[in-house]
Formats: sequence, structure tokens, C-alpha cells
Amino acid sequence: MFIESNKWRWSIVLGAVLLSVWWMAPQFIDHKGWWVSKEKLVYGLDIQGGLHLVLGVNVDDVLEQKLDRSKNAIVEFLNEENIEVEEHFLKNHIFIKLKDLSQIPQAVQKVEDQYGSLFQVLDSSGGQLELAYSQLQEENIRKEIIDQSIEVIRNRIDEFGVSEPVITAQGGKRILVQLPGIKEAERARELIQKTAHLELSLVSEELSVEELLELIASAEAEGQYSLQSEQSYRAYVQKLNRDLKAKLPPRTAIAFIKDESARTLSAGRSPMLLETDTGLTGDMLEDASVGVGQFGEPLVNFRFGLEGRKIFSAVTAENIGRRIAIVLDGVIKTAPEIKDHLTDRGQITLGSGDRTQMLEEAQMVSTTLRAGALPTNLEQLEERTVGPTLGRDYVAKGRLSAIVAICFVLIFLLLYYRWLGLVADIALSLNIMFLISCLASFGATLTLPGIAGIILTVGMAVDANIIIFERLKEELRKGSSVKLAINEGFSRAFSAILDANITTGIVCLILMYFGTGPIRGFAVTLFCGIITSVFTAIFVSRTILNSLVLHFKLKL
Amino acid sequence: MKINFLKYSSFFLIVSGLLTLAGLALIFTKGFRYGIDFAGGNEIQIQFQEMPSLDEIRTFLTEENYGNARVQSFGQDQEILIRMEESKLEKVTELTAKIKERWAGAEIRRVDSVGPQIGSELKRNGILAVCYSLLLILIYLGLRFDYNYAPSAVFCLFHDSILTMAIFSFFDREVNVQTLAAVLAIIGYSLNDTIVTFDRIRENVALYSRKESFAQICNRSLNDVLSRTLLTSITTMMAVLAMWFLTSGVIKDFAFTLGIGVVIGTYSSIYVATPLTVRFQLLKSVVKGH
Repeated sequence: MFIESNKWRWSIVLGAVLLSVWWMAPQFIDHKGWWVSKEKLVYGLDIQGGLHLVLGVNVDDVLEQKLDRSKNAIVEFLNEENIEVEEHFLKNHIFIKLKDLSQIPQAVQKVEDQYGSLFQVLDSSGGQLELAYSQLQEENIRKEIIDQSIEVIRNRIDEFGVSEPVITAQGGKRILVQLPGIKEAERARELIQKTAHLELSLVSEELSVEELLELIASAEAEGQYSLQSEQSYRAYVQKLNRDLKAKLPPRTAIAFIKDESARTLSAGRSPMLLETDTGLTGDMLEDASVGVGQFGEPLVNFRFGLEGRKIFSAVTAENIGRRIAIVLDGVIKTAPEIKDHLTDRGQITLGSGDRTQMLEEAQMVSTTLRAGALPTNLEQLEERTVGPTLGRDYVAKGRLSAIVAICFVLIFLLLYYRWLGLVADIALSLNIMFLISCLASFGATLTLPGIAGIILTVGMAVDANIIIFERLKEELRKGSSVKLAINEGFSRAFSAILDANITTGIVCLILMYFGTGPIRGFAVTLFCGIITSVFTAIFVSRTILNSLVLHFKLKL
Repeated sequence: MKINFLKYSSFFLIVSGLLTLAGLALIFTKGFRYGIDFAGGNEIQIQFQEMPSLDEIRTFLTEENYGNARVQSFGQDQEILIRMEESKLEKVTELTAKIKERWAGAEIRRVDSVGPQIGSELKRNGILAVCYSLLLILIYLGLRFDYNYAPSAVFCLFHDSILTMAIFSFFDREVNVQTLAAVLAIIGYSLNDTIVTFDRIRENVALYSRKESFAQICNRSLNDVLSRTLLTSITTMMAVLAMWFLTSGVIKDFAFTLGIGVVIGTYSSIYVATPLTVRFQLLKSVVKGH
């Protein structure tokens, strides 16, 4: 039985070696075919360099905006159905008070017929309707908001041309962006972050630019703040508008045109007064693109979706000759004049100038409009940029220290255990090979802590072998035969090895769950290391030892 | 050869207990120097072609109104690390541009910027990870061994992680996400040691419980596994030392923590975990006797 099973053992060991060669092959050969595994070890950002961003998406705000818009649509719908609304407001849910209380059952019926798939009527007592998204609907919308943001970021990055970008949702409110090997991290970051809220607002002419500047100066002096002292541009504008609320005409707000540097607002500081109730937002837009006018000059084409058409048509009909500002993230990008009554589509012509400059501007405006189809604010929570040379240095050093560590351990084992040491050396070498191929098999990401995990595995993997060999020697000292000693040594050591590795495995699993990025990389390598080292110590080294003792009559 | 490990065990237990208390006190009073992973903030790593003196860089930073930024040299390769608690990322971008302008050939090797929200979340997750690890280990050991082994193993792990962290606090070493991973690796390593010993005790109890007391059996088991304990410490130390001498930055720090952990872990499985188990067993028999 002893000899019989060893043949099987060798087949399994051989199978494992072949499998690991198959898994490792793509690291060395650039070839596609059945004989090369598809997955490949990927270097983490800390090694190959690149940009790592965690962006927060303000899902709750977007949800509220959507709710507000739906509320207005429902009120309008009720009015059309001859149900007069006295008052309506938002307070987590939609509340609509009717003038004629007897119309409530009728209103509930109508709303349920028309909006039943979106909203549920929570309460209709007390003379008012309370509406809210159904839970499923709300979850869908939340997911949509994140998905939209991801899609827009992806589009942007595609324009930038990065290979293998990672853009994924992280929890319900965050997006993780990883751009490996990118050199212009700053530009990429700006490009990603430009994704923001777009509104189209009529420019109010009630106050002149001089008057506005005066008002702003007085507010700044009174409140003792400036753009530089505030956290962000948005915070500054919010503060300004809050302080000036009483002095500005009703339903207007101040925003600035930025000419050059969108981030610092240093280049242009010309304020405009915007009407806040125009009601056109970017997500009503369906599409925008760069086109060519009749003289070959670049311009921007855009089209509104169903919802926006009505408003757009009404706005353009009443306000010919006035300017309408395209406001991205509270910043006015451009403010073209309304030339004609439009229904669903229109063109934005740009001033005159250099053709390439105009083309660039047209591209900027159309991308702005397209990105505006997504009304989310992205907030940067975490950023890590690694230059391309840093990782290379680390990897070179890491590799050297791994080789040195392995050599030391191999020599030590050989000197201490002689023949048994040779067995342990073979097992350890195979273990490292198995570990790397195991990681490659599911395309794991190799990070710096991951390399540390591999080196640590080298140190700890031999532990299993040492436990077995010490036990084996002990049995021999007691006077057992070699065969019996091997049997006893392995079977007695088994429980210790198993318990020790399972508990370490538990720690690894917890690290995988709670850790992010590099830490998870460490946990994954260590976990794979546990599996491969148990296999090599218990199975492979025993197989080799059996053969040595049985076929080569080795005396231990 | 037989060493009586348990002879002075009371002494070692008291010393370890006091050290753990002192460690806890240090951690709660002095606290840690958190890296930006946990504290939030920005970190810029720069490599110069010709290394300017740190004072020169500090003067430059003050002149450019980055007075709150801290500079330290980093590794041996003409590198420095600038840390600032600035919340505006534009300022960081601005600074890197200015540095590149001032020192030709300066290379920005790494910029890390972590918001306060992420920082506190990472901290919370770190603490949770350690707590859940200890809890699950307690349960697993309780099931596999006995509940008089499990608490001593967990206390031993607690002792190891507190002492390691106290060393970080005492020497003012920076604590970051990698430190956390290293501490958990130490827990894994020390646990490994402890379990091998416990496994032997479990086995010997079945063999010798008629002839010897539990304490004697424990001592016998410690002697049985001693050679293995030392050999494994040596091979792990080899790997750790290779990392420590031949790498820099993240992996070097990692090796430092592991090195401390290997020493503490080896000590604690012999002088903390096993003596504690003996005392738990004693307590159990006393309770049963009444």
C-alpha cells in the first residue's frame, strides 16, 4: 500500500507542477493559445506607477434634486387634471396640499395611475399627499447615479488613452479610479474631476457688472473672507450668495466666468447674475457634439430630451435676445445669446478667432454639455500618485532581498538537515513556484506588501517542514524504523500544521475583508502561501522522502 | 537536556503583565504618530539629483508660505519626504511645480493625499480587523482545543500586539496601514508558535496524564518543541533580515515590525501562553474541587 500509493503521489505532484507551469507561462511568453493561461500577474500601482483616486459621489443630493424635479412635474400634472394644488414642498418625501380636500381620493388615483411605477402614496390623510420613491426604485436610482458617474469618468479616461484603467464603485457612494502607468497624473485628475453639475440659466441684466463687483467687495469685507481663504470655489460662492441674498433681485444668484485656469479662478473674475429658476439642467440634455457651420467654423450642436423640450421651448420663445449661461459646477463656461425660438435642438456658435482655438473651445463646451447629462458632484477623498521610477527601484530591491532570503534559508536547511534538508529545499522551491503561479492563475495584483508577503511565506513555509522533521528525528531517536518514523512524523505533525495554518488563514481572510489595496494584496499572497506551503510540506516532501527511502535505501 | 521553563514562570508572567499594562498606558497617554493613511493629509516624496540640505528646503518652504510642512530625509538615495496637513490639493500640486522649478532634475516620485474621512475609516477598519481576528481565533481554538487553552492564546496575542504597538509609540515610529498588516502577520506568527506547543501538550496529556502533573506535561512539551521553535525563528529571521538590509521604504518598515514580532512572539509562546494555560488549568481544578 505504501509503495502503490507513492506512484499516485508522484502523478499528483507532477500534475501540480504542470499546472503551475501552465499558469506561469504568460509571465514569460507573449503568446495566445490553449497552452498558455489567460490570466497574468499584474503589478500594483505602487510598483508600476500611476494614479489612484477615490472619489465621493454625492448621491443623496442628486436624489433630492431628482425628487424635486418629479414633484414639480406631478404638481403640473395635477393642475392639468383640474386638481388645484395649494402648497407643495419637500421634506425627505414629496408633500402636496390640495385646495379642495374632497379631491384627494381622485388625486391619489390619478397619481397612482400615472406615477405608480415610480412613487408610492404613503399617506393621504390630513389634507395632503405624501409621496416617496418605492424602496426598489430608490435603490435603482442610487445605482444609476453611480453607474452614470462611472460611465462618464470612463469616457473621459478613454479620451485620455490609458491602458487598463480601473473604474469601479466602492460601496454605494464612492468610485475608485486607478490609472496605471499614467505620466500626467495632474491632467488626468483634472479631466476626471471636471465631471460635475451642469445648468443652463438665463443671465439677468438687472444689475451691471460694476454693481455686482461692488456688492461682492462689500460682502467680502463684511464677512472677512475671500476665495483664497475658503475651502473651495463652491464653498466661496455659496457663502457669497447667502450673504447677498437680501441685496440681489429675487431668484437670482452670482456666479463667475472662468477664462483660463478652471481650478484657481485666478485668470478671470467677472461675475454674472443668473436667474436660478430657469429650470434647465444638464441631465435634460440628450446629447451634444461638435459640428461645422456654413462657413466651416466649428460649433456645438445639442439636443434636449423629452423632459427638457417643453422648458427649453418656453425659455427660448420668451427670451430672444437675452443670454443663457452654461454653468458647470457653479462656474460659467460660456454664455451664448438666444437668437431664435427653439424647440428641442440648437447650436452654439463661438466667437471669432483662431480655428484650432475655436475647435478646442467647441470641444470643451460640448464635453461640458455631455458631462452635464450627469448631475453629480465628485469629491476627492483620496489620491495617490506614484512616479514610474519609484516602483522599479522597489521591485529591484524586493527581488534581490527575496533571492537572498531564499538562498540563506535553502543553505541553512541543507547544512542542518543534510538529506532531509535537500527534501525541504526541493519542497520550498516548488512552494515558491506554486505560490507565484497560484497568484498568476487568478490575475492577482502584486503590490509591495505582497512581495513582503512572499518573503514572509518563504520564512514561515519551512516551519511545516521543520515540525515534521523534528518529529521524525524524535521518532528515530526512540528507535523506530525509518518507515515507521516517517509515518509517525507526518501523521503526528499534521494536526499542529493544520491548526496553525487555519488560524493564520482566518487572519488573512479578515485582512482581505477589511483591508484596502495594498493590504489586501498582502493578505492574498499570504493566504495563497499558506495553501501551497501546507501542500508542499505535507504532500510533496513526503512523496520525495518515500522515494528516497524506498528506492535509494537512504539512511536518515 | 531538559530545561525547566516553568520554574520562573510567575516572574515572567508578572513582568509580561506589567509590560502590557505599561504598553497600554503609553498607547493611551502618548499615542501614536499616525501616518497620513490614518491621520489624513498629504505626503510628497522627492528625489533630487543633487541633494540640497534639509535646512535649505525648509527655508524654501517657509518663503513660499508652506510653513506648516514638515521635511525629513528618506532612505539613502537623495530623497526627502514632505508632509503637510493642507486640505487643498491644489496647494500640493502648486508646491510640486515650484520645487521642480527651484531644483532642476528634482523628481516627484510619489504623492499621497488622504482625506480625513478616509483616514478615520481606515483607522476604524484596522481596529475592527484586529478585534475580529482575536475573536475568531478564540472561537476556533476553543473548538479545536479547550477553553482553558483559548484565553491564554488570545491573551498572548494581545500581549504581543500591545507590546509591538507600544514600541511604535515609544520610539515615535510612524503608524500606517502597513504597520497594521505587519501586526496581523505577527499575530499569525505568534499564534503559529503557540498552537504548535498546545498541540504537543494536548498529545502529551493523553500519554502522560497518569504519571505527571499538568505543569510537568507542559514543561515536557515545551522541551519537545523547543528545537522546532528555535529553527523556525531562525529561518523567519533570515527572511526578515534580508528584507531589512536590502530594501527601503515600505518593505523595510515592514521587516522592522516583523523582526520585533518574531522576538516577542517566540518569547510569549514559551513564557506567556503556556504558563497561563497551566494557571487556567489549576483554577479549573480548584473550582471543580469545591
